[in-house]
Amino acid sequence: MYWIALRPSHEEERTAWGWRALQFTPRVAQVDEALLLEVSGSERLWGGRKRLLRSLVQGCEPLSGAQWAHGATSLVALALLRLKLRGEAPPAHLPRDLPLDALTAAREHVPTLERTGTRTWGDLRTLPRAGVARRFGAALLDALDAGYGDRPERYDWLQLPEEFDMKFELAALATTAPELMWSAQRLLTQLQVWLQARHRGVLALELEWTLDLRRLNGVRLPSHEQLTVRTAQPTQDISHLRRLVSEHLSRATLSAPVNHLRLRSIETMPWGGADKSLLPEDNVKGERLHQLVERLSVRLGEGNVLVAQAQEDHRPEKMQRWVPARAGGPATTNHADALYPPWLLPRPLPLEVHNSVPHYGGPLRRLARLYRVETGWWEGGKPALRDYFVARSEEAGLVWIYRERPLQLAQGLEHAQEFRWYLQGLYA
Amino acid sequence: MPAHLRLIEPALPPHVWRVPEFAQAQEAIVSTGHAALDAQLPGGGWPVGSMVEVLQARAGPHVWQLLLPGLAQAVRKQAGPVALVSSPFDPFGPSLGAQGLPGERLLCVKADKPAARLWAAEQCLRCADVVAVLAWLPQAKSAELRRLHMAAQQHDKLLFVFRGLNARQDSSPARVRLLAEGVDSLQLHILKRRGPPLEKPLVLPAWSRRVAALLDARKGPAPTPAPAGAPVVPLHRRSHVLDRTAAIT
Repeated sequence: MYWIALRPSHEEERTAWGWRALQFTPRVAQVDEALLLEVSGSERLWGGRKRLLRSLVQGCEPLSGAQWAHGATSLVALALLRLKLRGEAPPAHLPRDLPLDALTAAREHVPTLERTGTRTWGDLRTLPRAGVARRFGAALLDALDAGYGDRPERYDWLQLPEEFDMKFELAALATTAPELMWSAQRLLTQLQVWLQARHRGVLALELEWTLDLRRLNGVRLPSHEQLTVRTAQPTQDISHLRRLVSEHLSRATLSAPVNHLRLRSIETMPWGGADKSLLPEDNVKGERLHQLVERLSVRLGEGNVLVAQAQEDHRPEKMQRWVPARAGGPATTNHADALYPPWLLPRPLPLEVHNSVPHYGGPLRRLARLYRVETGWWEGGKPALRDYFVARSEEAGLVWIYRERPLQLAQGLEHAQEFRWYLQGLYA
Repeated sequence: MPAHLRLIEPALPPHVWRVPEFAQAQEAIVSTGHAALDAQLPGGGWPVGSMVEVLQARAGPHVWQLLLPGLAQAVRKQAGPVALVSSPFDPFGPSLGAQGLPGERLLCVKADKPAARLWAAEQCLRCADVVAVLAWLPQAKSAELRRLHMAAQQHDKLLFVFRGLNARQDSSPARVRLLAEGVDSLQLHILKRRGPPLEKPLVLPAWSRRVAALLDARKGPAPTPAPAGAPVVPLHRRSHVLDRTAAIT
């Protein structure tokens, strides 16, 4: 048997350290203030004790470091870790010379035992067993036997949860949403460890905070408020999630001070790792497009980050539809023609007409008649009856205009000479 | 001076150039697609990874005529979108698609506040997949532009920034500064480049070849308003252009 006792330098990272340790052995237990690992089964897989210890303790990137000690039984390892944390040197003879206060079961009896001159595990073991059991209870003897390796050690082994769900108590009440970021980052770090251990990538997660007040200004408040963060592709890259969360938090408002923060994974997917290439030109630095789109959409609003989707229609304003880039959609192309203007106005602009001549930055001189559109009659409202022209304006150069034509042109011409003119595009 | 003494040409470091010559291009370039303009730019095209500034009296005109050939090349070479940050109008996919920049390769970012525009432009530059960034930043300050320039440099992106004429006197980190004006032709002043100053503006066509062909055909030899003879238009698909009733007016 070979046991390792670990003590993370940040107490709240203990669970995450446990998840990390599960990569090395299935036998991980949380005992008192430390984590105990039994690694004799997987020693060879990792190439020996030294290598295993090295890979366990070093390179624990998202987590902060940990103190460790090892021994033949879990209690010896734990006692050595306690000595190490106290700054004492380990005794020469193990486990005989270990002090009694390093044994959890003996701690409450230490003053009594010291008065009898019993200071070490070895001293206690030389005392008559029946008397010790009567005076201090059988639990102490059991613990001592386990420490010497005479009894099997059983613990509740740690298991990796199916879903990530972790709560964090804030050090101080948070009154604005950005203040939550520090705690959220801690939780995200642990989420990353969980994802790495599960080999999954996260698609959606939920940040929930507990409000400290039940009612504020006479208004009843909910006990929790949530925020859902989604990303398009499963990721273990916490920096992207962190930026997304901080964008969301900078826009969120808290209705009351907050005392707890909870992070939950809503949707995860098996993750095969980031694609890398041996060719240097494939490894471009910078973030991916979907990450950019997500961040822009969160800060500027989804309606402000747009891609064009082609549609079959003859009305230019309906030839392309602007859809949020985040929602995406199949890329389509419609027929292209360089005669169309490269700039299109969001909606046709009615033009002033003086003496039957439309004006836009001066009178417009019609240079070419392009084509006639008669469409949209199947939709409710007015059908689109238009004649398109290329015209030249003194100031704006070439423009693309159309006039609305009455339904019966011949009759319309008799009744009304005035057409309505619209500007729809600009040549640039 | 004795005849055997010659002036020895000092070897110039790469960032130093003589006034009458062009500097050597330090980075990759993308041809502008206009031969006259290529000849006047150091390296022979748009510098990739540094800012190109275009000053205009009004935002909008001449943009595509100036940039489309270059962008079309860049888009062919590399996958990914061209980002437009707060463009004055909507780009029209069918027209741009015919000239080499498919409409689905555009990413439009709309932002009103100057700070948001700058932020969005910088984020687009930092994205590995974006090919080029076109940003309309009328209120940007020199320091902010420098930041964008650095981002473009770090990530090797084509960056075009459009500003008003009032920015002409301000200092700018841009490698190439252009001033575009004109109505019927695109007159391009090169305000700044790594090379000798340009005395006369370049004259480039103000609209695409197809539109120019149409207008030429319309100007044609005889502007006879013959109802049946009217469609001399070089329109292939739209040959049903005019019917008789429309020709009355």
